[in-house]
Amino acid sequence: MGPISTRLLALESRRGWATVMVFAVLALVVVPVLNLAVPPGSAFHLPTFWVATLGKYLAFAILALSLDLIWGYAGILSLGHGAFFGLGGYAMGMYMMRQIGERGVYGNPELPDFMVFLNWDTLPWYWFGFDQFWFAALMVLAVPGLLAFVFGWFAFRSRITGVYFSIISQAMVFAFMLAFFRNEMGFGGNNGLTDFKDILGFDLSRDTTKVGLYIATAASLLLVYFVCRAVVTSKMGRLLIAVRDAESRVRFLGYSVTNAKLFVFTLSAMLAGLAGALYVPQVGIINPGEFAPAKSIEIAIWVAVGGRGTLFGAILGAFAVNGARTYFTGAAPEIWLFFLGALFILVTLAMPRGIVGVYQSIRSGQFKDAIGRRLQRVDA
Amino acid sequence: MFKSLKILAAAGALAGSLTMATTAQAADTIKVGILHSLSGTMAISETALKDVMLFLIDEQNKKGGLLGKQIEPVVVDPASDWPLFAEKARELIEQHKVDVVFGNWTSVSRKSVLPVFEELNGMLFYPVQYEGEESSRNIFYTGAAPNQQAIPAVEYLMSEDGGEAKRWVLAGTDYVYPRTTNKILEAFLKAKGVPASDIMINYTPFGHSDWQTIVSDIKKFAAAGKKTAVVSTINGDANVPFYKELANQGIKAEDIPVVAFSVGEEELAGIDTGPLVGHLAAWNYFMSVDDDTNSDVISKWHAFIGDDARVFNDPMEAHYIGFNMWVQAVEQAGTTNIDAVRQAMYGQEVKNLTGGPAVMNVNHPLSKPVLIGEIQDDGQFATVWETDGVVVGDAWSDFIPESAKLTADWTYPWVCGNCEKPKHLTN
Amino acid sequence: MASSRTRGALRPDCRAVLVGLGLLMTALLLALAPAHAQSLDDTFAAAVQALDARKFSGKAEAVEALGALDDDRAISVLEAFADGRLYRRKADKLVFIGTRDDKTYILTNPVDGTEIGTVASRAVKRIVANNKLRGQIRGVLGQLALFSADPDTRRAAAENVIASPSDDSLPLLKRARDRETDAGVRATLETGIAMLELASDDRDLRLAAVAALADRSDPAIKSALEQRLLANDEGGFVEPDAEIRATVQAAVEDIEDRLALFGLAENLIFGLSLGSVLLLAAIGLAITFGVMGVINMAYGEMIMLGAYTTFLVQEIFRSSLPPEVFGWYVAAAIPAAFLVAAGFGVLIERGCIRFLYGRPLETLLATWGVSLILQQLVRSLFGANNREVANPDWISGAVSLGGGVSITLNRVYIIIFSLVVVVALAAFIRHSRFGLQMRAVTQNRGMASAMGIRTGRVDALTFALGSGIAGVAGVALSQISNVSPNLGQNFIVDSFMVVVFGGVGSLWGTIVGAFSLGIVNKFLEPVSGAILGKVVVLVIIILFIQKRPRGLFALKGRAAEA
Repeated sequence: MGPISTRLLALESRRGWATVMVFAVLALVVVPVLNLAVPPGSAFHLPTFWVATLGKYLAFAILALSLDLIWGYAGILSLGHGAFFGLGGYAMGMYMMRQIGERGVYGNPELPDFMVFLNWDTLPWYWFGFDQFWFAALMVLAVPGLLAFVFGWFAFRSRITGVYFSIISQAMVFAFMLAFFRNEMGFGGNNGLTDFKDILGFDLSRDTTKVGLYIATAASLLLVYFVCRAVVTSKMGRLLIAVRDAESRVRFLGYSVTNAKLFVFTLSAMLAGLAGALYVPQVGIINPGEFAPAKSIEIAIWVAVGGRGTLFGAILGAFAVNGARTYFTGAAPEIWLFFLGALFILVTLAMPRGIVGVYQSIRSGQFKDAIGRRLQRVDA
Repeated sequence: MFKSLKILAAAGALAGSLTMATTAQAADTIKVGILHSLSGTMAISETALKDVMLFLIDEQNKKGGLLGKQIEPVVVDPASDWPLFAEKARELIEQHKVDVVFGNWTSVSRKSVLPVFEELNGMLFYPVQYEGEESSRNIFYTGAAPNQQAIPAVEYLMSEDGGEAKRWVLAGTDYVYPRTTNKILEAFLKAKGVPASDIMINYTPFGHSDWQTIVSDIKKFAAAGKKTAVVSTINGDANVPFYKELANQGIKAEDIPVVAFSVGEEELAGIDTGPLVGHLAAWNYFMSVDDDTNSDVISKWHAFIGDDARVFNDPMEAHYIGFNMWVQAVEQAGTTNIDAVRQAMYGQEVKNLTGGPAVMNVNHPLSKPVLIGEIQDDGQFATVWETDGVVVGDAWSDFIPESAKLTADWTYPWVCGNCEKPKHLTN
Repeated sequence: MASSRTRGALRPDCRAVLVGLGLLMTALLLALAPAHAQSLDDTFAAAVQALDARKFSGKAEAVEALGALDDDRAISVLEAFADGRLYRRKADKLVFIGTRDDKTYILTNPVDGTEIGTVASRAVKRIVANNKLRGQIRGVLGQLALFSADPDTRRAAAENVIASPSDDSLPLLKRARDRETDAGVRATLETGIAMLELASDDRDLRLAAVAALADRSDPAIKSALEQRLLANDEGGFVEPDAEIRATVQAAVEDIEDRLALFGLAENLIFGLSLGSVLLLAAIGLAITFGVMGVINMAYGEMIMLGAYTTFLVQEIFRSSLPPEVFGWYVAAAIPAAFLVAAGFGVLIERGCIRFLYGRPLETLLATWGVSLILQQLVRSLFGANNREVANPDWISGAVSLGGGVSITLNRVYIIIFSLVVVVALAAFIRHSRFGLQMRAVTQNRGMASAMGIRTGRVDALTFALGSGIAGVAGVALSQISNVSPNLGQNFIVDSFMVVVFGGVGSLWGTIVGAFSLGIVNKFLEPVSGAILGKVVVLVIIILFIQKRPRGLFALKGRAAEA
């Protein structure tokens, strides 16, 4: 065994590997088989609705992981992660927009419909290259990465931390939302990019394409999980945790806090961009709504619900909150916000380490003690 | 590893039970999906539409239902979140197996669900005035197309009764409906000989709340000595502060009339309309219209909702028309099968609430009358002008060159929403 | 001019014909409803009855005829017509003035002003006026009121006549000017006369008119002058005399220069006004976030609760108090909103936030949940749509500052109100015992506790204070904005920007931050448009924070590091 594979194996404990494998099999094999191979009449058939919805959750899970990487491990709470997610989504959307070609309603081979409608006669420069998948795929990572690098370079150099960072990142995503609402920006304004036909030649309305996208997302999540795992178990990861817990001390010890933060922030933004790129073909639309500050706050909530500072928790949180939303908006459409709101309050008050934290406490038999201690501390 | 297998089995069983729960549902009712935001920014407008659908379904059930079955509403909340609209649409069609969906308000939400309805061959009734430039096989547009609202309104303001406006401010929220409407109006005004210097176009973001500068600009623009009118496509939330600013800056309808396409009784309910008397709106329906069916429906609506102060507005009438049309089409087809009902929809006629007919066209918008009303101090509109008969909705505007050449016709030989020539050529 | 003179000459004949028509109708009416018409002034009654014409053009003729009767009773009838208070009784088709009383109407005889009685709303039909008619009525009423005893009425009448000029406006205005004693009204009349005389046939009159108008700063006058410089259809100019054209040109340029100055002033005032709204919205946050370090995402909902309290107070005033005091509901709403929002504040603090001190980011999540619940609560209780909050008379309307610049009264009050709130708050924190305790707890909790301060109580009260002020802001915002469940969401991001930009923990910073953001925004808006302007402001904030990570007015010392 070479050093790389040793390092790879060391990413997880034996138990950890087993769990990861179970979920990988569930996501990558069981779901597609239940959808495609089991006939629709069967009780075990999984409707396409669930494939599409689970695919969406998987993309959200990648997004949650990307935020957990900086918030859980480096103490940087970005309330603007929707910006990176959205930009990744727009990059992919631009590719699919160019793929429409002459099939748009106005039949212009070069320009997307909304540009024809705005009386534009040439493609803006920033749309060039997006007819190639490789270019779009590159941009999915490069654009959010570059934005994060520039934004982070300014912010971390000026030692903007904590709440201040959160709020200026919120200002950033808000500015993006307003800017992308403008039709003159050339990204379709409020309606954004939609009416996609196919991706890499596969028809988006076919079930097989949906399953394919779903598998791609699941595989990406697995990959991203390992990338994050590799980062947090590395020396860099330990440095980040140190920054999270005592930034000044790390700085005085001679480490470059700025560089460490910049690295992980940029990486996180690229992962968020990837999540956006996987999300857009599955939901069929990308618009400035993704830049709404509320959506970015929600990402933090997924992470908090699942368990901040544990990668598995971030994934769990994304599934739990979005699953709850899917369920409650159908089952209790008039009052579901009460449930969701109460969930957030309960989680922060009673489960400060999220679902994962509760699981750990129960396993170690300290759940009752933990709650008791919390209340005592509060009363003091 | 053994333990993991147990988890796997448990998860599989869970998934299985989930799917069973959803597929094993009773089929002795006809299900109608209601896809309106009940939370988030659009809840302001859409909640009333959910209520009106429940009311219409209740009325129909009292009459004995449809095809001998009761109609069961399935309400979901897409929460003003556009991708969630797509997810919920899929849930309604695939999971709840609804026979028809009534829903959406914003055009972006419609764009978001459109691929889902086309892929799954669903049927959506969309009740809000829309920008046109779209005709989907699976969507019936029961709101006004631009030629059923914007153009008659501008013609009225140009007429002697309307005050012979010569100078125009086109103010809107920056999204596709105002953009399209203003583009059509600009072409229309220029065709009528209005010089470009007499047209001012202004866009603001959603929820814009500080209107001082814009209202003051309008005043300055109107000070040029020619009769000036404002055409407002300002959306939802931004209207209240806009009208409050208009009222307080003393812009009277006699001097600078403002005609709005997105302000109805529901929006006015949030404003003291005393200072706004005379500003206009163009719709296909006003609650104040003196018609027996109208007052009958309104009193039943008040009884259903238990509040006499609740208003009834144009998109609600659109749902009234759409729902009754669908009921008739289902009865005609004898089934809720989507394709059969769609065929039965064409030419289907329903009595609208202003005393005339509403007819479904083969291009999917309706034929409706156009009414222009002035705001009164009680928050209602007084009709000051209406078309003689009904106006056929255009899916593709004649005033946009790229779209003028397109035809929407879902019957033989066209069978197409955006074609320059029929799909099936006849000899 | 010649043609209009001819028309003017024809007019009396037209009137005669109309009056004749009116008489004819009276005769008809006499036949139809003898009991009603016999005892009354027949001509007047007929003229009133003629208002109920089928077409708007017929109504317009009737208004003209009614005005020409020179009858004082016409004023109340025409006013009622313009206000939509004129009704036709369906039973006998007679025209009455109606006053709405819930679902019934109290009818008044337009001729002798006697009350006829009460009818159900379905028994009458409103006689609809449109904008054109209302404009015409305004002109006619203006002519009738030009000679009123009250100078304010005369001024308003003069403005109305100038706004809707007709052919006989000029002699009328001149007649009024000659009789006018009030200097202000006289100046208004002079301006109106000069504007009309710009088109006079007499060269000297035109020259005098230009001279009279040259020192005004009004966009309407500027465009009236500019009209004279345009080319006419025959290839010449509207103003035939080259010398006068030069004078007009110079006058227009002068006015333009002055208007540009006024434009700057206008942007400044609008900026102050926007700033005051931002300040009000942010000031409570400056306490909960700035002083306590709690990120309260439910802060916007406190503003919303304040606005809904205003609505409730208004409804109470409407339903159970005499209408004379209705205008003061806003004043009553201020303490009510404070208490309601502060009450919710205590609830949130005791029930949730106190468990989370020192963990600002987790408070963010919990209060986000609170915010969702409060929004849904209000939506369930009051419905999802907007609620109507009326501007009382004393805060309606606008103050004109000349040069076409005016600021609405409600905004003037908000500017004043925001400053009063800030000053009161600052004084409270500085001078009161509670303020001292509050500062002590925020600076050093442990030490404060050791000195015997009940920190838990201080926390709760500080949070209540911040929330209460948000509630008060809600009262003010209800006067210019929507009262809907989403109200708070619209202000939360802006409020955070103001506090961070101004410097967390500094009230002074919040004031300067709010006003400078407001003014920058308003100066950008005309250049870049509303949307891009806002984006630019956000980018400015982001860049500014890089330079001064703690905002404009950073707190010094250890407290700043917390």
